[in-house]
Amino acid sequence: MLPTPEVKHIDYDTVYEPSEDSFLLLDCFEQELSFLTTKFSTTIPIVTEIGTGSGIVTTFLQKNILQKAIYISTDVNPHACKTALHTVKVNNADSESEKSEKSKNEKSTPELVDICQMDLVSAIRPKIDVLLFNPPYVPAGEVPTIPNKEDDSTWLDLALLGGEDGMVITWKVLDSLDSILAENGVAYILFCARNKPDFVANEMTKRGWKVKEIIQRKAGWEVLCVLRFQRL
Amino acid sequence: MKFLTTNFVKCAVKGCQSSTESFPLKYSDCQLVQEEQEYNPEFLVHMLERLDWNAVIQVARDLGNDSLPPTKPDSLDPIMEEDQAVLKDLHTLLVETQIVEGRMTCNNCQHVYHIKNSIPNFLLPPHLC
Ligand SMILES: C[S@@+](CC[C@H](N)C(=O)[O-])C[C@H]1O[C@@H](n2cnc3c(N)ncnc32)[C@H](O)[C@@H]1O
Repeated sequence: MLPTPEVKHIDYDTVYEPSEDSFLLLDCFEQELSFLTTKFSTTIPIVTEIGTGSGIVTTFLQKNILQKAIYISTDVNPHACKTALHTVKVNNADSESEKSEKSKNEKSTPELVDICQMDLVSAIRPKIDVLLFNPPYVPAGEVPTIPNKEDDSTWLDLALLGGEDGMVITWKVLDSLDSILAENGVAYILFCARNKPDFVANEMTKRGWKVKEIIQRKAGWEVLCVLRFQRL
Repeated sequence: MKFLTTNFVKCAVKGCQSSTESFPLKYSDCQLVQEEQEYNPEFLVHMLERLDWNAVIQVARDLGNDSLPPTKPDSLDPIMEEDQAVLKDLHTLLVETQIVEGRMTCNNCQHVYHIKNSIPNFLLPPHLC
């Protein structure tokens, strides 16, 4: 098993705590390791995680799956942005033993992760090669509005509440996938059963996407899964 | 925010999507910090392929660096001593230079974004969303 990034000193009143969904994504990428490394063996991919939260998934990818890549991850929540950047730094501050181990093996690559406070991917210029998103997927009356003060107490609501079917934010991403994703790009999005992932997969297939369920797991009374989207 | 990232972000305003002026943003009042990073020349050569060189030059100029070559250095060979020097400089600029505080202005709509604690903020006020 690949090592899970350290997430410490996080204020879980303001930042989403790594949970079953986060860990399902880590397992998903462990499973996708050879698919992704093969796919991007000759180019340096642009990788973006929308809603990076604690930064655990972005850091896991950067450390274990795609080291030679440029990461630009986003979150609307300023506390999440700070925390994610901290998580990246902590996990890249190698101990001396790790360093000497590395220099013996191969040249290591710099850590190229930046975290931007941003709505979805609205300020990212290039097409994205690898997109990942563990969205706010809990069905709710509506999607909460973005607070305008940093010390607002409702930032965490944005991590959970996804409006009708818990799909309002996710559909925004899926509807614009064609313009966001590079020609050879791939997107991984997490769903719970109440999001009706089968319906989503059908709908996206109709629109010309190749959709595959990579992993599925029962988590308490939720059933979670990750779907992978690619162009045909 | 790494210098490198300035090559990958643009104005978030919808009306600026189609404008060529919305990238790169104009950087001002920037506070820079150097952060030591692993130097990997082979990786750097590949990374260069992903960059818009004119934008690199423009942002470097915003930050007071006029020394970049006018065209993207290509076919750099990490074995050659001359090329090593070029790569080392690019590493220092692109990978190790952090913009910790600063302002980014869209040359199309003039909207100003802020960088604080190394995090650029692209959230828009409601009337621009
Ligand atoms: C379920 S949490 C996932 C956090 C983390 N990626 C993980 O897996 O543990 C969803 C995250 O998306 C962020 N988010 C919600 N709406 C967003 C939007 N429109 N743009 C960017 N991020 C958003 C939330 O702030 C939250 O951090």
